[in-house]
Amino acid sequence: MTTTATLENPPTTDNPVFSVDGLWKVFGPKADRVPEDAELSALDPADLRARTGCTAAVRDVSFDVRKGEVFVVMGLSGSGKSTLVRCLTRLIEPTAGTICIDGEDVRAMDKARLRELRRHRAAMVFQHFGLLPHRTVLDNVAYGLEIQGMGKAERRARAAEVVTKVGLEGMEQRKPSQLSGGQQQRVGLARALAVDPQVLLFDEPFSALDPLIRRDMQEEVVRLHREEGRTMVFITHDLSEALKLGDRIALMRDGKVVQLGTPEEIVGSPADGYVREFVRDVPREHVMTVRRAMKPGDCAGPAHPGGLAPDAVVADAIKVVAGSGRPACVVENGRCLGVVDHERLLGVVAGTELRGGAAGTEPRKEAV
Amino acid sequence: MATVTASTPRALPTGLLKHRAVHKLLLIALAAAVLVPLANARWASGSWPAALTVDLTKPLTSASDWIINNRDSHPLFLYFFGYVSNAVVISVHAVYVVLLGAGWAGVTALGALVAWRVAGVRLALGTTAAFLACGLLGMWVPTMQTLALMVVAVLASVVVGVLLGLAAGLSRRMDKILRPVLDTMQVMPAYAYLLPVVLVFGMGVPAAVLATVVYAAPPMARLTALGLQGADKEVLEAVESLGTTARQRLLTARIPLARKELMLGLNQTIMMALSMAVIASVIGAAGLGDRVYQALASVDVGAALAAGIPIVLLAVVLDRVTGAAGDGTEGQGRAGWAYALAGTVVVAVAGRLLGRLDWPDAWTLNIAEPVNRAVDWMTAHLYSGVPVVGGTADWAGHFTTWVLDPVRTGLQGLPWWSVLLIVATLAWLIGTWRTALTAVLAMAAIGVLGVWTPALDTLSQVLAAVAVTLVLGFATAVAAARSDRVERLLRPVLDVFQTMPQFVYLIPVVALFGVGRAPAAAAAVVYALPAVVRITTQGLRQVDPAAMESSRSLGATSWQQLRQVQLPLARPALLLAVNQGVVLVLAVVVIGGLVGGGALGYDTVFGLAQGDLATGLVAGAAIVCLGLVLDRVTQPTERRTGKGA
Ligand SMILES: Nc1ncnc2c1ncn2[C@@H]1O[C@H](COP(=O)(O)OP(=O)(O)O)[C@@H](O)[C@H]1O
Ligand SMILES: [Mg+2]
Repeated sequence: MTTTATLENPPTTDNPVFSVDGLWKVFGPKADRVPEDAELSALDPADLRARTGCTAAVRDVSFDVRKGEVFVVMGLSGSGKSTLVRCLTRLIEPTAGTICIDGEDVRAMDKARLRELRRHRAAMVFQHFGLLPHRTVLDNVAYGLEIQGMGKAERRARAAEVVTKVGLEGMEQRKPSQLSGGQQQRVGLARALAVDPQVLLFDEPFSALDPLIRRDMQEEVVRLHREEGRTMVFITHDLSEALKLGDRIALMRDGKVVQLGTPEEIVGSPADGYVREFVRDVPREHVMTVRRAMKPGDCAGPAHPGGLAPDAVVADAIKVVAGSGRPACVVENGRCLGVVDHERLLGVVAGTELRGGAAGTEPRKEAV
Repeated sequence: MATVTASTPRALPTGLLKHRAVHKLLLIALAAAVLVPLANARWASGSWPAALTVDLTKPLTSASDWIINNRDSHPLFLYFFGYVSNAVVISVHAVYVVLLGAGWAGVTALGALVAWRVAGVRLALGTTAAFLACGLLGMWVPTMQTLALMVVAVLASVVVGVLLGLAAGLSRRMDKILRPVLDTMQVMPAYAYLLPVVLVFGMGVPAAVLATVVYAAPPMARLTALGLQGADKEVLEAVESLGTTARQRLLTARIPLARKELMLGLNQTIMMALSMAVIASVIGAAGLGDRVYQALASVDVGAALAAGIPIVLLAVVLDRVTGAAGDGTEGQGRAGWAYALAGTVVVAVAGRLLGRLDWPDAWTLNIAEPVNRAVDWMTAHLYSGVPVVGGTADWAGHFTTWVLDPVRTGLQGLPWWSVLLIVATLAWLIGTWRTALTAVLAMAAIGVLGVWTPALDTLSQVLAAVAVTLVLGFATAVAAARSDRVERLLRPVLDVFQTMPQFVYLIPVVALFGVGRAPAAAAAVVYALPAVVRITTQGLRQVDPAAMESSRSLGATSWQQLRQVQLPLARPALLLAVNQGVVLVLAVVVIGGLVGGGALGYDTVFGLAQGDLATGLVAGAAIVCLGLVLDRVTQPTERRTGKGA
């Protein structure tokens, strides 16, 4: 269907946390027939609506979320991102397809099992925070634990730790209405973290925040991910946020995933005109790595001038090359993988290296 | 109609409306052209044809006889209504005994301390003063009787209302079933609820409590449902995403999120319960209402006032305290409540030890006599023959001869089918064919019940009173909307007036105008005015400031602004005000049967007083039908949420 990087990449040692296959969510009367009917499922959104009165919010989506990665789902408003992420824990009941968490079929779970999943395995952070206005910060954070039946003293102690972790110490007794937007979202984040879930799901958590606060919060997420290595599924409509946070990005349009890959793949080799248009203004030197920019082949010298790591971004390489005035080597484990020079680096900035064709995918395979 | 926007203030919507209105009018004209000659040929015009009435007197009388004969023997009464009735009597009595046992000092302390906890020192002082005033007026015992009845009725109403509200708020199917029922119950005059309960329970405390519950539970149910449905979707989703069970969601999220609406519901239920507990004196509830009722029956304005003032004080205190409980920040600490409770107990025990449980006779103030002297003086000097302005009784007389009589004669002179036609046209123009159908059927039902003439009499009083209400109300509202000073002055007055039970309004009008149809209409005007003024003022004030500004920038005079911008844009609010005015006026006009209003209201009282339930029930049913007609004929597209809300 699309360029699914999952297929191109060799299987990782871990099983995926989430494994989604052929997922559909159709809103409207007699929604079940749409995925089954080949003719209906091929219609575009407007025609489908006219013919059946149904909206296909998610259409035939497949992907795996690997352990420890930040998996970003990106798309414009209305492209089905929220519906998709809610289907993962069946906050919205999917219409067709399979969802597995750690190999267990989510759609086959009974109510009790599903509650178990929501209580311990996947916790969500919402765009408008979804805090309980009548509870204090501490009790909001402890809410998930309270639901699980944990005693008051214990859950408050646990919650207090998490509150500190997200940088809200001293505000435990405030009500959400007494906090700024950014602080409220920290509470939302803390509430999700408090139950120590295997996966964190974020639905556009920072879209309602001011730009500066948004940057702080993004850094907070990066920090948390670095410290805890928790798997995250992150929904956003903001490309720069996606590129900043995502290990891999699924780009959605009208309910379909049009491209799935690393930020570099999305920017470097857009799957179609839509994606290309989407990433046109991205500062490429901050996304593309030297692994992609280099001329493969050993430099055949012992010194390896420059000594860049293969996942250093082009912007860093430019600094090195401009400083020394000579091409730099890309080195991994003491072995030289290739060389970048002025011409190669400028090609990346100008976006002309694409014409090079195969250079994009070839080196990746040997890399991982 | 509701899509009036700032950019194109009038042109489009009215154009559309005219278009549709013309269509409807044409259709009605067509239907009339076919049906009227047929009806005319068959049953002739004039009053409702006798051939089309059904005499319900016999079946109703026999039904009521059967119930009276079987009340003590039939299992349904023995094992269901009997239990209900006993439970009510026992609970009311228990509360009454507790209130008396706490003594006047204990009750006053309790009231004051509760007010202090939920609303602060000022309201605590106000509450104390109010209770002391009740005692001073020699009304301590009736006040406690009314309170006991209220406590039981409010508790039952809250339980019933919350349960119904939960059902409607959590299930869309239940909501669909309950909503129209609750909407309709909301517009029914309190009076209409009295007779059915009397039929089943007989006169007395159980009937009074149950009528009160039936009247006071709907706002609780509506607001509970509203609160549950209005909960922030994302909060509920977040709560669900953490793995809550449905019960946990309800208890930890949905109900707390609906707190504001629940408190508003409690407030409205208490106010309606008070209103009804007072009216229920007509069916045998002892207490303040009964004192007013007895006093009015003998036109003893002084005694009526002595009982009326405690009602007003009770209403204001209850409204303020429950209102503050709704606004206040919750959970002000248990310790405060413990102090409050301890304080009450100490005062109550102290009162008991000092042997001062009953309000001391020496401390009462007899206001009845001076008031009656004042009324006598007024009767002598102000009733008639005052130079230039004329007297109050003259005004009442003129209003009767120049307004009420012609309207009544006119209505009763109309051919019956033309009344139906007018009802249909009005209801359809303003609403849908569904509302029109309901209205016509309800109007026809009045004819079928055989009370066409008295119903039109009631209707004439309603129309006259509504006209006066709207003229006064709109004028006041325009003044209040244009001047902050006027609004500031008006607000506390409206607040007090809107909390007063309907019954109380009868006292001053009887003092001023004597008895008759004009005083009944006057009471109705006074009762409906605050809601009309409030809704209209709000509507005028909420007109989009951008539209106002643009018209001002075009150099419109303030009169032009009012006529061309404010009034058209406030149209929905005006329609709502008319609807509320009509509903509220009807509620009091039928109560006016007690002070010589005659017509349906009188039939109801007469039925109750003479034990002639058939007459009363028919009149009650006709009141319900008239209520339906009037509501549907004026029903704006959007519904109100509560009395003058
Ligand atoms: N409950 C619903 N009923 C009908 N249509 C819905 C519902 N929820 C979402 N949709 C439709 O599904 C599409 C995707 O919505 P959503 O998942 O919210 O998109 P996004 O989060 O990417 O903005 C939209 O066209 C939206 O109108
Ligand atoms: Mg969304």
